[in-house]
Amino acid sequence: MMTTDVAQMQRQNGVWREMLNGWMSILTEPNLDTFRAQKTRDDPLKTVLGVGLLGLVLGLWALAIKPAALVTGMGTEAILVDLLRMVFFTETDFFIISLLLFFIAREFGGIGSFSQQSYLLSLVTVPLGMIVVAFLFVGEKLGLTLTAVLNPLSPVGVAGIFVILLALYGFLLLLFALQAAHEMQSSAVFYTLGAPLLAWGILRVASMFAAGEENVITTEWGFIADQWAKGTAQELLLGHLWLVAFSVSIAVVLGVMIGIFITWPARRPRFSHLVVLIPLALFLLLWAVSSGLLGEGIADQIMSTTKDWSHSLTRIENLYFGPLLAIVAAIIAKPAAAGMIVAMFTIILYALFLAGETAGDLTLYIAGIILTIPSVALFGAMIKPLGIGPFNAAFALILYAQLPILRNTYTGIKAVTPEIVEAGRGMGMTEAQLLLKVKLPMAVPVIMTGVRVSIVMLIGIASIAAYIGNDTLGRYIFDGIQRAQEKRYYAGAILVAILALIVDYFLGWLQDRLTPEGLKGRQEAV
Amino acid sequence: MIKFENVTKIYPGMSSPAVDNLSFTVPTGEICTIVGPSGCGKTTALKLVNRLHELTDGNIYVLDKRGETQNVLEMDPIVLRRSIGYIIQQIGLFPHCTILKNIGTVPQMLGWDDARIRRRAEELVEMMNMPVEFLDRYPHELSGGQRQRIGVARGMAIDPPVMLMDEPFGALDPINRTLLQNEFLRLQQEIKKTILFVTHDIDEAIKMGDKICILNTGGHLEQFGSPANILARPANKFVEDFVGADRALKRLNLVRVEEAMNAHPPLLQATQNVEQAVGFMVEQGIRSAYVVDAAQTLKGYVRVRDLKGKTGWVGEFVEPAATTIQMTTSLKDALSEMLVVDYANVCVVDAQNRVRGLIDTNMIHEAVLKSAAIAEGEEE
Repeated sequence: MMTTDVAQMQRQNGVWREMLNGWMSILTEPNLDTFRAQKTRDDPLKTVLGVGLLGLVLGLWALAIKPAALVTGMGTEAILVDLLRMVFFTETDFFIISLLLFFIAREFGGIGSFSQQSYLLSLVTVPLGMIVVAFLFVGEKLGLTLTAVLNPLSPVGVAGIFVILLALYGFLLLLFALQAAHEMQSSAVFYTLGAPLLAWGILRVASMFAAGEENVITTEWGFIADQWAKGTAQELLLGHLWLVAFSVSIAVVLGVMIGIFITWPARRPRFSHLVVLIPLALFLLLWAVSSGLLGEGIADQIMSTTKDWSHSLTRIENLYFGPLLAIVAAIIAKPAAAGMIVAMFTIILYALFLAGETAGDLTLYIAGIILTIPSVALFGAMIKPLGIGPFNAAFALILYAQLPILRNTYTGIKAVTPEIVEAGRGMGMTEAQLLLKVKLPMAVPVIMTGVRVSIVMLIGIASIAAYIGNDTLGRYIFDGIQRAQEKRYYAGAILVAILALIVDYFLGWLQDRLTPEGLKGRQEAV
Repeated sequence: MIKFENVTKIYPGMSSPAVDNLSFTVPTGEICTIVGPSGCGKTTALKLVNRLHELTDGNIYVLDKRGETQNVLEMDPIVLRRSIGYIIQQIGLFPHCTILKNIGTVPQMLGWDDARIRRRAEELVEMMNMPVEFLDRYPHELSGGQRQRIGVARGMAIDPPVMLMDEPFGALDPINRTLLQNEFLRLQQEIKKTILFVTHDIDEAIKMGDKICILNTGGHLEQFGSPANILARPANKFVEDFVGADRALKRLNLVRVEEAMNAHPPLLQATQNVEQAVGFMVEQGIRSAYVVDAAQTLKGYVRVRDLKGKTGWVGEFVEPAATTIQMTTSLKDALSEMLVVDYANVCVVDAQNRVRGLIDTNMIHEAVLKSAAIAEGEEE
């Protein structure tokens, strides 16, 4: 009888020490291997004792922050009952959550036992929980409320940030613990922990609406839903998308062409190159005529004709293509500017065609400089020649999109291994065949990355185009700032962000489809 | 045939030539290896043939498919390149194309239809000892050695009479390199292409070349001749140093086992009775002998001391031979094999494991002496 008691005592002594060692090893060496090592020392007794200890600390804390008079009035028995209740609830909460995670982990292919998983989870929650409690206790003694401590913007912001960091750290450790317990892939672990959190978030938001709470989320939702019902949101969304789509499709052609030109060797002008003169002359003529150089009479006539076309285009009522028609109408209305711009680009393209790679650095440099011009300034500077509206916006967006597209085309083509090009040339491929069959297919993933970057960037810049009178989602932002309505500019920002995310996801899918099959595995191998 | 005639190449802006007044002729159906230290212009010389580089002075002639001699300078470079097989290291495969498309590159440009391209590709892949399913795979799914075989197959796609190979086996590990070299030599016996083969490795040059062209820095030709010739009689100090102090040993590379072996060795039949066999071995003065069956297939060997005083059939006492040697193996590999197993003599077999002869160290010695004498004689 005595001996078993001693053994029991010794065992318990050992258990406490082992538990402490476990916590220390997790805190000092937070990595997967530590958790794996701890997994072999799993003991349900340690789990229960550890969590119980946390419950006790929580109970003490709850007592400590109660008004002193209330506690002294309770009597020893009531205090003990209070503490025991807290221990009991902590234990049940812990094991219920652990059981939930266990079932989810099993769904994702976990192989660990419930006891192992609970032990590893307790190794994280118990010490971290106690640290948090100690932290909160000190804060309370210093006279800080819980909300003040947790708010990163409060005067004790550092403390708040500490709490947030601790929470993130705890989340990370929980991921490790689950992964070690179940030997799952890290993505599966993330889902295991993320799924209940997401479910909780959704329930929380749902409860906000059910209870009719007034906070950022509910007002924002109400505002957007309202705008959607009125049709304004769709209109601005489509205007935004069309402006980006129109600009990007021109920018991609332009950027890829320039990118190809500046990877070629320089060439000499040839007689056949005079073909370039045809579009050049055409658009210079358009410019000359419509800007009155060949007589005011003709110019007026042209202007009135194009105005008519433009008007008849804007009169077409089409919900989906309306914004695109508006862009075309705006360009038609300014024939002189359109002629000038196309003529200018024809000359630039031909110059780059001749200069080839000798112009590479300069071109990339200029494209880089364009990107540094603040968009509001560029929109403003273009008001005089292009007016306010879609023409101006599209022109600026096309310029902005150049750098990522042409730089990626350039690097993508340059990055093709010289031996592969040499092999192709040695087998008798012409330069055009080399470009179309070897260089471009191999550069597609890189080019697509550039296109993706510029599209997402343009979605952002297109909001600023609302500043010069375009119907884009930026309208909400500018209106919101003017009227000092938080919900308005939040709505603008949220919708732009969601749009960018969706488009980027779609482009990622597209990029995957366009990447040649043989290059995919190679990238994985790298 | 590939003929260099006073070929000089000076890169623009360089004062000294990269290839200097190079003249030599590779007879039809032979491999000529170009070897030399780095910067000797060997790759440049190769690329002058298909005009990836344009020569400054001189002429290069190749024999086209119709058997007519063509001056490459008078041909359209694109047409010229499509008519010459071009093989570089395995990294030259197009990673975004299947093996089929890789092999089909030139045929496709020449306008072959898909069925014909596929038929030819299947033929080539089988010739390279690879399964036809490989055609639909991508280069990254293949091992280095397999990729290099595909590189060779791609160069042979349109069965060009002339091929250029630029360090084709350079990126391979030694085991795979030896394997591919042997496979290619065996293949060359059938296809008989005229090949210019650039390497920096003198051993490879000796092994692969019917002729060797040794270049020095600045593209200067130091010696042109058969490997045996160059090993026996280096033209000058440079060649002597380049070939190495072990040139006598290197000569072992030049002779094949079949030229040195005893083609009528004493053999035992598995069905002979033991007493008779012991009598035969004592009479021949040998302590052991190889055993074959009725079809001359190698069964193993027996030793006199194991058989003495026993009765029964020889087949009951056979021990398996630790190693055998193929007839086309070089003497160097054969010697190395013999040193490893510590046999006095090794059995030479053909592809069906039939015994074709025996070889021992004495025979190797004699063969080397004989080949040296022949090379000296050629020189005179």
